[in-house]
Amino acid sequence: MIKRFLFSFLLVLGCGFLSFAQQKEISGTVSGDDGTPLAGATITVKGSKIATSTGSNGTFKINLPGKSDIIVISFTNYISKEIVVGNLTTFNISLKPAAAELENVVVTVLGFQEKADKFGTASSKIGAPEVVRSGETGLLQGMAGKASGVSITRSTGDPGAGANIRIRGANTITGASEPLIILDGVPISNSEIHGNGSSSTGTGVVQQSRLNDINANDIESIQVLKGASASALWGSRAANGVLVITTKKGKAGGLNISFSSSYSVDEINRKHPMQQIFGQGSAGRYSAIATNSWGDKISERTGGEDVVSGTAYFQGYQTGNKYYAVAPGTAANVHGGKNSKNTFADKNFDAVFGKGHFWQNSLSLSGGNDKSKFFLGLENLSQSGIMRANSNYIRNSVRFNSDHNFGKYIKFSNKAAFINVKSDRIQNNSNTAGLYLGLLRTAPDFDNSDYIGSYFDANGVEFRNRHRSYRRYLGDNVQPTFNNPLWTIFNQTANSNVNRFLLSSEVTSNPFPWLDLILRSGIDASNDGRVYFFPVGSAGERSVGSYRNEKIGEIEKNIDLIARATSALSEDLKGTLIVGANANDRRREILYAEAKNFLDNINLQNFILSSDANTNVINSLLHRSSNRGYTTANLEYKDQLFVNVSGALEAASTISNNFFYPSADVAWQFSKLPAFKNEKFLSFGKIRLAWGKVGVQPTAYNFVTTYETGVYNAYDEGLATTNFGGGYRLDNVKGNNNLKPEVKTEWEVGTDLRFLNNKLSLSMSYYQNKTTDILLNVGLPPSSGFTSQYSNAANMENKGFEADLKYDLVKKKDLNLQVFSNFSRNRNKVISLSGTGTIDLTSQSVSSRAVEGYQLGVLWGPRALRDDKGNFILDANGFPNVDNEQGVIGDPNPDWRGGAGFSASYKSLDFNILFETAQGGDISQGTKSVLYNFGTHEDVGKEITLTETLKNVNGVSFPAGTKVRGNIGNYGKGNVLLDEAWYTSRGAGLGAAAIREFFIGDASWTRLREVSLGYTLSTPSFKKATKFSSMRFSLTGRNLFLWTDIVGFDPEVNQSGVNNGFGQEYFTNPSTRSWLFTVKLNF
Amino acid sequence: MKKIFIIAVLASLMVSCSKVYEGQNVDPNNPTSVNAETLLRGIELANITVQVSHIQRITGMWMGQYKGAALLYKSLGEYSISGEESNDTWTYIYQSIAKQASVIREKLPSNKSYSGITKIIEANALGTAAALYGDIPFSERANDAFPVPKFDKQVDVYAGIQKLLDEAIVDLTPVSASAVISNDIFFAGKSTTWLRIAYTLKARYFMETRDYAKAYAAALNGINALTLSWKFFPPALVADGDFNLLNTLIDQRGGYLATAGSYMHENLLKAAAVGNRNNTKTNEDARLKYYKITGTAASTELGVAAKNAPMPLVTYEENLLILAEAGLRTVGFAEGLLQLNKLRAVLKSNLGLAAAPATGGTILYEPYVAADFNPGGIENKGSLTADKALMKEIIEERYVSLYGTIIPFNDARRLRKTENDVNVPIPFTTPTATQHPERVIYAQNEINANPNTPKPLPDLYLKTQVNQ
Repeated sequence: MIKRFLFSFLLVLGCGFLSFAQQKEISGTVSGDDGTPLAGATITVKGSKIATSTGSNGTFKINLPGKSDIIVISFTNYISKEIVVGNLTTFNISLKPAAAELENVVVTVLGFQEKADKFGTASSKIGAPEVVRSGETGLLQGMAGKASGVSITRSTGDPGAGANIRIRGANTITGASEPLIILDGVPISNSEIHGNGSSSTGTGVVQQSRLNDINANDIESIQVLKGASASALWGSRAANGVLVITTKKGKAGGLNISFSSSYSVDEINRKHPMQQIFGQGSAGRYSAIATNSWGDKISERTGGEDVVSGTAYFQGYQTGNKYYAVAPGTAANVHGGKNSKNTFADKNFDAVFGKGHFWQNSLSLSGGNDKSKFFLGLENLSQSGIMRANSNYIRNSVRFNSDHNFGKYIKFSNKAAFINVKSDRIQNNSNTAGLYLGLLRTAPDFDNSDYIGSYFDANGVEFRNRHRSYRRYLGDNVQPTFNNPLWTIFNQTANSNVNRFLLSSEVTSNPFPWLDLILRSGIDASNDGRVYFFPVGSAGERSVGSYRNEKIGEIEKNIDLIARATSALSEDLKGTLIVGANANDRRREILYAEAKNFLDNINLQNFILSSDANTNVINSLLHRSSNRGYTTANLEYKDQLFVNVSGALEAASTISNNFFYPSADVAWQFSKLPAFKNEKFLSFGKIRLAWGKVGVQPTAYNFVTTYETGVYNAYDEGLATTNFGGGYRLDNVKGNNNLKPEVKTEWEVGTDLRFLNNKLSLSMSYYQNKTTDILLNVGLPPSSGFTSQYSNAANMENKGFEADLKYDLVKKKDLNLQVFSNFSRNRNKVISLSGTGTIDLTSQSVSSRAVEGYQLGVLWGPRALRDDKGNFILDANGFPNVDNEQGVIGDPNPDWRGGAGFSASYKSLDFNILFETAQGGDISQGTKSVLYNFGTHEDVGKEITLTETLKNVNGVSFPAGTKVRGNIGNYGKGNVLLDEAWYTSRGAGLGAAAIREFFIGDASWTRLREVSLGYTLSTPSFKKATKFSSMRFSLTGRNLFLWTDIVGFDPEVNQSGVNNGFGQEYFTNPSTRSWLFTVKLNF
Repeated sequence: MKKIFIIAVLASLMVSCSKVYEGQNVDPNNPTSVNAETLLRGIELANITVQVSHIQRITGMWMGQYKGAALLYKSLGEYSISGEESNDTWTYIYQSIAKQASVIREKLPSNKSYSGITKIIEANALGTAAALYGDIPFSERANDAFPVPKFDKQVDVYAGIQKLLDEAIVDLTPVSASAVISNDIFFAGKSTTWLRIAYTLKARYFMETRDYAKAYAAALNGINALTLSWKFFPPALVADGDFNLLNTLIDQRGGYLATAGSYMHENLLKAAAVGNRNNTKTNEDARLKYYKITGTAASTELGVAAKNAPMPLVTYEENLLILAEAGLRTVGFAEGLLQLNKLRAVLKSNLGLAAAPATGGTILYEPYVAADFNPGGIENKGSLTADKALMKEIIEERYVSLYGTIIPFNDARRLRKTENDVNVPIPFTTPTATQHPERVIYAQNEINANPNTPKPLPDLYLKTQVNQ
């Protein structure tokens, strides 16, 4: 710092002295470090406006005013170089690619760049090109598999769906589990807000992660700060790690223009196998109104037209076909009036799902001189999902970053972006108006084509716009019970329109050579307008129509004042001291209104549809503030030993008192010891040790018990006080005015090693952390008058190991081969919940929970009754019973995760491949369990001929030789027949009555996360012919192969979206794989 | 320079100040204090949910009055039940009713109407809990002094409930009959009506503890007119949140619950069934139709599951049938017959509904005479004594008339011990069952958080104390 200051100071003086000297012409060539000439590189004369650029062969000529002696050579994506001209007149200048340099730089939590080798804590850097290359439209998803200790879990494959990011396991139980995102020095929101119109586990659509608003093409680097020590300065918001994202800066030189365009084709990557052997009905008899498909054997029907009866009918608007009542089967004729042998499972599926695609165009311009630089990034992304309608994601963003030096002492940097995201979403999950639920429950012999039409009753009265589903084949009732999936995608809408403004501006002044003063402020303001529309006739309580309009406004303001002083205390000892103060304010306002019970069955999306009594408004405000004073001191001894000590004192509106977060780390480059001086094998070695404390803030407004309006609902019915003249009830959560932050204390030890002249690098870390005072709604016995109290009650620990390995197999001018891999393993343990039995993280009949002694998120639900030895306690017929007490039935936490890849480039060709794996870990297969019950799953569509006499769960005997529909099972007392009686009682289904542990599956997976092949045209002849400096074509495959034992869906989904709970799938919208073609042009 | 640093460090640390946020963490979205009167509607709605929702339906399935047709309800009907099913009901009993009632009484110490009414509702909720679960927290309930309330013996709970009702009677007796409380959605605070309900409830709980003489005595002061029955009349003005709860369930979970295939409908009410209840003086056709639940489409339900069909909490019919049964036991045959005939007179008049039910059907309930119960009489096909035959009819009448409440479940368990011969012979809902449920499993949320929950956890077939 001092040197730099002195240098520029001298330069200014020098310029003054030399101003009367003569002009002089110099020339030379500019090339990359591999020797390829760089066309279009800019050469400027420092301190003047004189500039030129290199020609197609990389050569340049420039006249130097006599006073000047320094030229600056810059080129996009390369590190600029300053050269003192001296007496020379010709130069061969080689520039290093920017990425190579960045690898060794760490951006600290305060936004300063430091040499990674001086760092005492583990951090992973994810390069922007890798994220862009992934073919993901979301930044978060694009980070998957690229760094150890970072796990990304998608919610679904829907366009724009959010993803959960977890660094080094879970650090809180019910608190915020997302890492803090620092964009250009200021925190921004990555919230996934469900709001009032949609829920996270049940009836709803997937929401977005706000981090995905950011255009990956604008990003320079993503730094993942994993440990407590690295992030302690952010106190109570840093317990889940910190992502430090830096956007691009303009580079001095001529105007650089880069344009890229990608087109992607997406398709569903896993389908649930469905049976098409047996029809709608039960007990082997056809019934057109049956819930299940345990009906007659379709192939045994007579064929031809169905025998219909009655005068009432439904006429579909799609085909014009009329549907009359079909008589159910009887003992004498199990088919009833049903003659048709047609099945529709595939047709029904293909009517809903097709190919998705997106088109992404990105343009960036950058340029400037040594005083002012700018970067302009524009993006348009337009994606349509694999559902044939109303599933899309459209993102437009503009970013303008600029830097300006005002004289010698003041620098100004401003980074601003405006983003608009529009999206249409499809209802999913445990939702009778959801897509998969209606589709996969549909009987195989039911054609969904006519989903809307008119019902004419026996008197000929017409009811228009009736919803026809397999449970209401005549549309004779406004309530379809389950949606026809075509209604779900065509007639219901759920859109979101986000406008977001991001600003980070920074003024740096250095009044003394040893001191920098930085004033940094930021704003993240977003507005999300969501509209959900369920026309009259949508399933569930929405059958009377529901129009929901929600406005979510979020604004985060942040300001930091930082002083940074550097001093050489002696020749061997250097020190830096940073002192800072921060104030942060977050405010979220939600205004929600719902109109239901439409006056008319029309599609106008407006509150005029309902009377006042049927309009309901909710508003809420969430306002949190905090301030911190912080300091950090670094000491460097002999450029070998680095010690860093920090502390932050924080006050926040959600806690009662101040809280202090200390941290310390040490890095020792032992390879600089004299003993290693001639060491050939080991090129670099560092040992690091770090310790720190970070926290999680309590949620707001928990100091006192409040009153709420009551809705009383014991099972899907409800009585609301608001409908009876209003009234309140004392909240069942007891207030607590003595809240502290959750505190995570972590230590880690690690090493960074490089071998064989830096070709092979290996980084390993072991960490242990313990989070104490974890906040949760501690269950109170309802008989005490409250059901819970939000308190600092639980303790949890994580122990883990991570490693990153990279090996440059070949590094030559024309050929580069590199392999890389990462590995992480985390063991979590919920140590204590202070007597509260378990904590629900999700609210389904199989829930993800915190249970003492287990890893966070274990799956809890109905299990089979067992004796002390763990054997089933069977009933008289040899079948397991349901245990009245539920328990842990699975653990969704993987044993380990890893990523491995290979990249190669040969001349203009480059190739990348990345595999990712998660091994161990369970998932609750809710869909499968229910489809077994409904009789639509392939597994329960089998007909077997018994070779022995078997009993079913009801004790009915089936003699050998009988042909029965079902499977043979054995729970320890010999073979038993698993038939309709079993699958529709304890054997499958939902709720607490089915033994759900039988549907816990091993969610281990390995996937070909991405593979890409690129070709770059930058030959002189090409440049001459086209005037482009380069053109690149690439083809990327995303998620092409998946190896897993799970059948029917990609285990990398999460029913509850971005949530602390995971490991559940229940009619969750499916995942995708894609092919992506990209052209990139540089001017 | 060091000094400057130290000063700067201290200055920055002092910036961190919690005082600036004082008052910011007060919830802007929910009130931190309200007038206690506004809690009453919530208590009343919670009690409706406790009495005639999920748990009632489960016991109704066990009693052969409904049939669990699909999915969860099918399993619940077949006696597969866990503590999760009780969570909400249990929470409503203690948090939404007992706790709020205590807040009201604490904040309105001199308002006798609120005191009396909340005690009656609380007694009703806790009485249901005692009947369903046996030993329950009572003496230490909803009281900050007892973070983990103990479980009181079922008989002590019943005694406590009687005391609570006595207190309610003391509170309400001096209150003018014309005093109006608009927050009371049932009777607008009419003290005389609430007093009658308090007495019928006393009678109900004396029946459960087999104090038949006390039950009879209390019932004499109980509900004495149809219009005084305590029922939930759903306004059904908006789409959800104010409908008949069966109707909402059917709307949400079509196909789960029906009456087709249930014992009461197939065996007792259908004219074609062997041993059905019809005779020369009785035709159950109208009740068969009114009680029918198709279960698949809410809007087609016209009977008990119609969107605005009333749901019974404590009724005139129940009071009459208490008088009938307890009267037969403690006064004599004539009293039993007299009260039964009063009930039949009620049925004769539109089944006791305000108007003839939309479901239609023949109504015939002529008064019985003593001879009808003699061996060979129309109500005594076998050779029972007249007293037994009358008892059998009264019990069966209770079973049918009190459809939609948990009373049939309570009766079945009460009589199973010593008088199973007069009990309604309900079949098992699943062929593999060997015994009938004797209770409901404690709420899982209570089990989780209260170490005083009985251990080992009583299973479904363990009789509660009063039925042992």
